[in-house]
Amino acid sequence: MTGIMVKDEREIEIRIKNLGMTFKDNQGNDVEALTGVNLDIYKGEFISLLGPSGCGKTTLLRMVADLLEPTAGSVHIGDRLPREVRLDQKLGIVFQSPVLFDWRTVKKNVELPLEVMKFGKAKRSQISDSMLEMVGLTKFADHYPNQLSGGMQQRVNIARALAVRPELLLMDEPFSSLDEFTKEKLHEDLLQIWKKTNKTVIFVTHNIQEAVFLSDRVCVLSPHPGRLSGIVDVDLPRPRELKVKETAKFNELVSKVRNTFDGGSL
Amino acid sequence: MIPKRKREKNVLARVHENSRVQAAETFIFPVLFGVLVLILWQNQILHKILHTDTFTLPLPGRILMIMSDNADKILSNVGATVAVAVIGLAAGSVFGYAIAILAALFRKWGAAGLGIVAAFNAIPIVALAPVMTNWTKDVSSDAAMRSMVAKILVVTIVSIANMSFNAFRGLTELKPFAEDLMSSYAASKKETLIKLRIPNSVPYIFTALRVAVPSSVISALVSEYFAEYIVGVGRQIRENIVLAQYASAWAYIVAACLIGIIMYGILMIVEGIVLKKHVKA
Amino acid sequence: MKNWKKNVLKWLPMLIWVLVIAVIWEIGASVVDVTKRTPENVLPHLYQIVQAAFSSKPVGSGMTASQLVLSSAGKTLSRAAIGFLIGTISGFIMALIMKLSKIAEKIIFPYLMIIQMIPILGMAPIILSITGDINTSRVVIAAILTFYPVATGTLAGFNAIEREKYDLMYSYAANKLSIYTKVLIPYSIPYFFTGLKIAAPMAITASILVDTLQGDGGLGTLLSQSLKHAMSIYVFWLIVVFGAFVGIFSSKLMGILEWLFTPHKRFRKTGRKETQHDTQTKKREECFSKSS
Repeated sequence: MTGIMVKDEREIEIRIKNLGMTFKDNQGNDVEALTGVNLDIYKGEFISLLGPSGCGKTTLLRMVADLLEPTAGSVHIGDRLPREVRLDQKLGIVFQSPVLFDWRTVKKNVELPLEVMKFGKAKRSQISDSMLEMVGLTKFADHYPNQLSGGMQQRVNIARALAVRPELLLMDEPFSSLDEFTKEKLHEDLLQIWKKTNKTVIFVTHNIQEAVFLSDRVCVLSPHPGRLSGIVDVDLPRPRELKVKETAKFNELVSKVRNTFDGGSL
Repeated sequence: MIPKRKREKNVLARVHENSRVQAAETFIFPVLFGVLVLILWQNQILHKILHTDTFTLPLPGRILMIMSDNADKILSNVGATVAVAVIGLAAGSVFGYAIAILAALFRKWGAAGLGIVAAFNAIPIVALAPVMTNWTKDVSSDAAMRSMVAKILVVTIVSIANMSFNAFRGLTELKPFAEDLMSSYAASKKETLIKLRIPNSVPYIFTALRVAVPSSVISALVSEYFAEYIVGVGRQIRENIVLAQYASAWAYIVAACLIGIIMYGILMIVEGIVLKKHVKA
Repeated sequence: MKNWKKNVLKWLPMLIWVLVIAVIWEIGASVVDVTKRTPENVLPHLYQIVQAAFSSKPVGSGMTASQLVLSSAGKTLSRAAIGFLIGTISGFIMALIMKLSKIAEKIIFPYLMIIQMIPILGMAPIILSITGDINTSRVVIAAILTFYPVATGTLAGFNAIEREKYDLMYSYAANKLSIYTKVLIPYSIPYFFTGLKIAAPMAITASILVDTLQGDGGLGTLLSQSLKHAMSIYVFWLIVVFGAFVGIFSSKLMGILEWLFTPHKRFRKTGRKETQHDTQTKKREECFSKSS
């Protein structure tokens, strides 16, 4: 059995029970991308899914997002299935690449989900303005994506995900293509936004330090087959500042996470 | 491999998803459609749709008959057209490639020069063909020869532009740092050309040919209208229509289509063979 | 001041090329002058062409050479434009249909390839005889010639959309209409215009060609008439020059339209290393010319 039970009265937002994903590869063989994952995620928590490529972390995220149907087990968000949450337009997903529409201005990009949800023009404008302000891009509202740097594009990506006031914020390695300096800045910004908006965040990454710095808990996934090897509590104080990375406690946690990782087959 | 998004799986969908079935579908559907059109044609329903008669649009059976009866004549005309198209294509491609090499070696002048070539490309064939016919009036005393030269010139000019653009891209659009790599070996410009640029350009040559082959056939056909000597599939189409011999005209039309299809088919086969071994630099 | 200099330097090679070509032309014309009986038939001097363009001497039906060319041009071009419009709209719709229905795509795609392979221009006479009316046939041919590049280009655009854009829309539970209007159609606009740029000169060429088959006053008719010396040979040369210009211009016109419709392309930072955007542009052009 995997997963650590924490005794407290926090409200459980997402229950993942025995989740598994098996699919057929090009030769028709069964590949177990994920198997037997049990995980409870609390409301308002910032939790990371950490692991190397191929350990199933993105698969897990996509199943919570209803972008994939599991072949085993279940996911519940509150008492609803991911499908219902998605159809209710309550999901906020930040993909790895910004996925911005080149032909729309930054502001119009942020308004995209609002258009799909048929918000009125004035309302959309109001929301997108406040989102852009939250990520610090108000000055660039009328620019086009190809005028922005990678880091700024990701901010737009985040602003757009938040525009729909989602219950859940799912982030799939959003900063992995950025340089260290930009990444650190965005970490700080993300934590501030999280504090302000109180969302539940599931953050996928392959960077141990990033996971420990940002999260309340780190779920370590290992490959072959993809499984949850362990969950590490990160009890560093909040708000987290960059200099916490120099503390002994931080590095202890990083080591602990690393040791939880179990790189071989079962 | 990324698993597919979920979808309702009933039996029909599952059958449909099988890759073999899909491959077969790609083949079967168009063939069925084509057969349907042929049936409509033979039974004159097509004529009702297009408001024509069997005189202007003869039945497929009749066309086939005419083709087999006149096979010799048709083939000799086909030969004339194909000769023009192929020679013009070859000459144009070679010249075009040479121009591209020059442009790649002398970049600033080359880029502007290609702009001029682009301008030439936009000259309609219908203007080009008569000019060529005029220019070649003194090339030879044999009308047949004169016409051939004129037509080949037209096709050549049309093919040059196409090949030079694509070849230029092939010679200059290299993977990042490839040029840096060569210069770190202190390779000369010539060596870089031969070892890096030319091999890199091979796929682009085929991109050019995919457009150039059909267009050389079209240019050959159109230039036949303006040539002195009455030979070639395109010319025959026109002559036969003028004489209201529609069945013969259609026979030549079928021949023209076949020329286009077969030449393109050969191109695809060659491309398949050459590109299999080829890896971009 | 600096900007001005930069622009001149940019255009300098092009200007020099134009001069070189003009010089070669003149040399050719002089050679021809000496060696031929009727040099104007083969290669007149540039100034002679210019002279003919501006002369006010009537060459036929009481109009000057220039007037003659321009009035026939009007006829030819307007019909080419109609055919072009029809071909564009139907090409776009066809691409949509092929994207919406896999079955439609499978049936139609090989025939699209066949249209590319067979010489439509060569079939002009037959289309004329089927439709019986020169105007209709002009429009039909221009439409067919436009149809192919527009349909394949737009379809290539539709198929080039990254999976993630679909995922994004899926996560918003967007319906099909939203996806088509917000993603597919805007994304394919550059591809669409690439198709238009290719189709425009072709539609014009087709229209002129049909003129030559049956005389009723278009540019092509004028062309054959002046070739047969029913009127001054300079009319012929004027048509050639005019034809060339119109061909180039129509393509550039499409380029201008594209510029109008794609404001996001106007802001390109220079001097960067290749970005995702540049790769996309290259992929697009490649994708299109492979057209399959």
